Amino acid sequence: MNCVEFESVLPDYLEGGHTPEQQAHLTSCSACSNLLADLNSIVTEAPALQAIEDPSPRVWNAIEIQLRREGIIREPAIARPSRSGFFPRWRAAWLVPVAAALVIAAGIKLYHPSGAGDTAPVAKQTPAAPQVVAQAPRHKVSTEDQQVLNSVASRPPAQLASYQNDMESANAFIRDAEIQLKSDPSDIYAQQLLMNAYAQKQMLYELAVDRTGGEQ
Amino acid sequence: MTDAKKLQQDKLTEAAAIERAKQGDAEAFEFLYGLHKRRVYSLCLRMTGNPASAEDLTQEAFLQLFRKIGTFRGESAFSTWLHRMSVNVVLMQLRKKSLPVVPIDETFDGDEESPKKEPGAPDIRLAGSIDRLQLQRAVDELPPGYRTIFVLHDVEGFEHNEIATMIGCSIGNSKSQLHKARIKLRELLRTTRAEKARSGRNAKRKPEQNEEPQSGIGEVV
Repeated sequence: MNCVEFESVLPDYLEGGHTPEQQAHLTSCSACSNLLADLNSIVTEAPALQAIEDPSPRVWNAIEIQLRREGIIREPAIARPSRSGFFPRWRAAWLVPVAAALVIAAGIKLYHPSGAGDTAPVAKQTPAAPQVVAQAPRHKVSTEDQQVLNSVASRPPAQLASYQNDMESANAFIRDAEIQLKSDPSDIYAQQLLMNAYAQKQMLYELAVDRTGGEQ
Repeated sequence: MTDAKKLQQDKLTEAAAIERAKQGDAEAFEFLYGLHKRRVYSLCLRMTGNPASAEDLTQEAFLQLFRKIGTFRGESAFSTWLHRMSVNVVLMQLRKKSLPVVPIDETFDGDEESPKKEPGAPDIRLAGSIDRLQLQRAVDELPPGYRTIFVLHDVEGFEHNEIATMIGCSIGNSKSQLHKARIKLRELLRTTRAEKARSGRNAKRKPEQNEEPQSGIGEVV
């Protein structure tokens, strides 16, 4: 068996169909054994991409608005807590400049990457770890994040958990991008990832304001 | 006690949330969205390679799902139903934009006939060293048709017969295109790895270092 013949049966080989002749070729051919190892590695890692990124919070906002418009969401029989009462706009106003500062901070980090990346990898995946946040160790919550979480603490538990999860996810992506940028400051993809993560975090802050103040 | 707190304390299950959503319960819709948003958005993002489109498609997939939730009878898993619906929404969008859903053979510019590589190129082995970011980047660079097949099969876990039905090709075509997509991915990953190694060597170049390329890759045996 030569390399061309081996590659023609490679898809079946990857699905478990082996013959002694194929095994013999692999033993004697480093090119084909490397190819097989690489493809196996790609196949093994692929499921890690299954659920790794969250949509921005505005997606749910848009869905909720549309569902209400179409009458699919009806107000629950038991009243939800008044959103206007527990988190008045004046208490949340400080979040807006903080959110804007987040994106500015991301821009500064891109131009001065040397200080970034002193944190441990979080979202680095292993085949057994498809979920970024679920598998990640808990990291210290920043003061600003904690203040946001405190501000929305009286929201229904499911929503609070969603806020926490979204915040952790954004922070995990920020840490990953910073680590990547530390090793390669010119990595455009990591720069984009960092900006997206900060934009997502900014949106979370703004959402805390909008969804409370906006429903008064 | 609020409805949401009660739901939470009762350890709201997906099944319970579905029943409540059928009654128009806002918290239940949000709970279901929260359970599945990451998987659906990631699917849309991988298949389109565009965050803005992925968000629009995520919104559309959930809206379709919630509009039809009254018809869900539980014969299949809710997640299966949702993911199938999400795939259909994405495929429909790709077709609308005239992007190839079925890979086109001619778009594959690599030499897939054998694993031979350029003589003298460094021996770059990927196995065991692919991280999520690298793979994600490479998948985003795949031509749309290959990306669709790869995401559906290797990322999402659909079988070839399911993919063939969804995108309208033969099972054999799905298999062969998947193989080409994997080969193309390997090529993209190796190129990235080689570029990094080259820039690393340039940055750390020292006079006493021997810069001879490592032996071997790729000669055809």
